[in-house]
Amino acid sequence: MTRDRVKLVLNILALLLLFSILYFFDRYGSPYHVRILNNMGIFITLAVSYNLVNGYCGVLHLGPNAFIAIGAYTSSLLTMSPLEKQMNFIIEPLMWPLSVLQAPFSLSLICGGVAAALFAFLISFPVFRVRGDYLAIVTLGFGEVVRVLCNASQSVTNGPLGLKGLTPHTNLWWSWGIAVLTLILVVRLVNSSYGRAMKAIRDNEPAAMAMGVNPFRHLLMAFLISAFFCGVGGGLLAHLITTISPTLFTFFLTFNLLIIVVVGGLGSTTGAVLGAILFAWGGEALRVVESPMNLGFMTLPGIPGMRMVLFSVILMLVIIFMRRGIMGHREFSWDWILDKLQRKEAELKKP
Amino acid sequence: MPAPFLSPERNMPMFLKIEKLVMQFGGLTAVDSFSLELQPGELVGLIGPNGAGKTTVFNMVTGTYKPSAGKIHWLDQDITGLPVHQITAKGLARTFQNVRLFAEMTVLENVMVSMHITLQASFWKAMLGLPHYRKEERRIRDEALEYLRELGLAHLADEKASSLAYGQQRRLEIARALATKPRLLLLDEPAAGMNPLETKDLAQLVREIRDKYGLTVLLIEHDMKFVMGLCERIKVLDHGITIAEGTPSEIQSNPHVIKAYLGEPKHA
Ligand SMILES: Nc1ncnc2c1ncn2[C@@H]1O[C@H](COP(=O)(O)OP(=O)(O)OP(=O)(O)O)[C@@H](O)[C@H]1O
Ligand SMILES: [Mg+2]
Repeated sequence: MTRDRVKLVLNILALLLLFSILYFFDRYGSPYHVRILNNMGIFITLAVSYNLVNGYCGVLHLGPNAFIAIGAYTSSLLTMSPLEKQMNFIIEPLMWPLSVLQAPFSLSLICGGVAAALFAFLISFPVFRVRGDYLAIVTLGFGEVVRVLCNASQSVTNGPLGLKGLTPHTNLWWSWGIAVLTLILVVRLVNSSYGRAMKAIRDNEPAAMAMGVNPFRHLLMAFLISAFFCGVGGGLLAHLITTISPTLFTFFLTFNLLIIVVVGGLGSTTGAVLGAILFAWGGEALRVVESPMNLGFMTLPGIPGMRMVLFSVILMLVIIFMRRGIMGHREFSWDWILDKLQRKEAELKKP
Repeated sequence: MPAPFLSPERNMPMFLKIEKLVMQFGGLTAVDSFSLELQPGELVGLIGPNGAGKTTVFNMVTGTYKPSAGKIHWLDQDITGLPVHQITAKGLARTFQNVRLFAEMTVLENVMVSMHITLQASFWKAMLGLPHYRKEERRIRDEALEYLRELGLAHLADEKASSLAYGQQRRLEIARALATKPRLLLLDEPAAGMNPLETKDLAQLVREIRDKYGLTVLLIEHDMKFVMGLCERIKVLDHGITIAEGTPSEIQSNPHVIKAYLGEPKHA
């Protein structure tokens, strides 16, 4: 068997394994475990697409919360029935035609992604005129603007009241199916000539331009693709928690994604996946620090928000001791494992 | 289409014609009224003391700096002030004085970046891994390897660019520039940091690639032996002003040049 065949078989086996695990949890898992797994899938989608801009293009973009919010609202408004909408929008009625439009979940996710990408396109001209800290501030600003708009546009988003009682469409198949799809597409892109152009811009923009790479075109491409998948992830998130409001999409959400990709290793898709898994699992596992603790001789009161303090500490430790995160720029690859195995075999054969 | 400039007719279209370029940074005039015409196939040197404005000329020709005044014509087109990547696409490529490789990428990938402009398949074909894209990827890889072979770097293809020795990094810069398929190659101090043996090989290499790829070469270099041995024509800049122009032997005996390099003769 050729190397490519072997890798294909291994990939299929890995997917089968993943889906058997999901099947197992879908059938026998507790709601608690299912929720963690759903979060993992969604955060993988979000982190991998966020990493496309921040890790591979080397651009510090701080506004993914805007894309996620737009995806979440768009998709929710499409899956709600006209009657549900009427019941939600009690202060001001939802504006036409949103009030009558309805779409199946799958289509609503795509619309969420497209809406987010459209917004990304609109802001891309001011965003990519600048670089570095300035770009960070501009994107941060747009992220905040979207949240404020969500709060203020009563007749579109229902303002601070948010949208309640969404149908919980998101299940393990959706969250992990989209995660796997995002992974495949993004990995293909970053390993392609387009991905090389993005990495070239990251490593040395003047040199990339001198080699004929148009920076704006490639940054825009990464930005739109990233926004699309963030929007889809937002739609998934909305239909997992079934209640959304502007407070869900603050800079905090961006901060969480930033922790995930930095801890995982900026510019490594494997790192983004690991980071997302650790985050979704850790976020639940660390809940203990927020609940009252009985130490035998005394009881410590639970401090809400303690998890975030811990996350920040972890982030600082990673930045101090592992500047490049868990993975650095490295990636998981079957080649690496197969090479190792072959070398072992060769060593064993030697007398 | 046969290259029109190769025709020996009298009304040849212009190849590169630089007219009275001026570059000012605040109050400093880094380059003043710089003019230069290149014929296809020429090997021309641009020399001058530190800070003379040589790199600034390159930066204007390749679009990095927008000239304060003057015009650059390339194959009958006015390319003054075009964006860098468009100028590269028109067939002008450069190397950098302070090596600017894509440090995190492999040697091969560095060259493949330059081939990106030749890519025909759009990004969604790459994302879906369609055969059209895969075929293009193979072509790019094979051609990039070809350039590495030409520059004697093929055995280092999978090394990280930043792990190369200095002389090799400079060669990789040339490979990368060649991969954009230029007609004019601008080399900014290609021999800097090389030992005498490497420098000798480099001179040989520059001649070879010029002949093989039908290039015109304009190069900046401080190593006089290298420049005098290699270039057919030399232009000398000092404080942004062109102080001499001619064949190597004319330049070597030009009193202005000697003064610029050695300073005013000191009084005892
Ligand atoms: N971006 C810039 N901003 C301000 N001044 C600049 C800039 N680029 C170049 N200069 C100035 O222009 C002058 C010419 O610089 P340039 O780099 O072209 O010199 P050079 O001939 O290449 O010198 P060297 O041999 O040291 O490379 C210098 O005084 C330099 O400080
Ligand atoms: Mg210079």
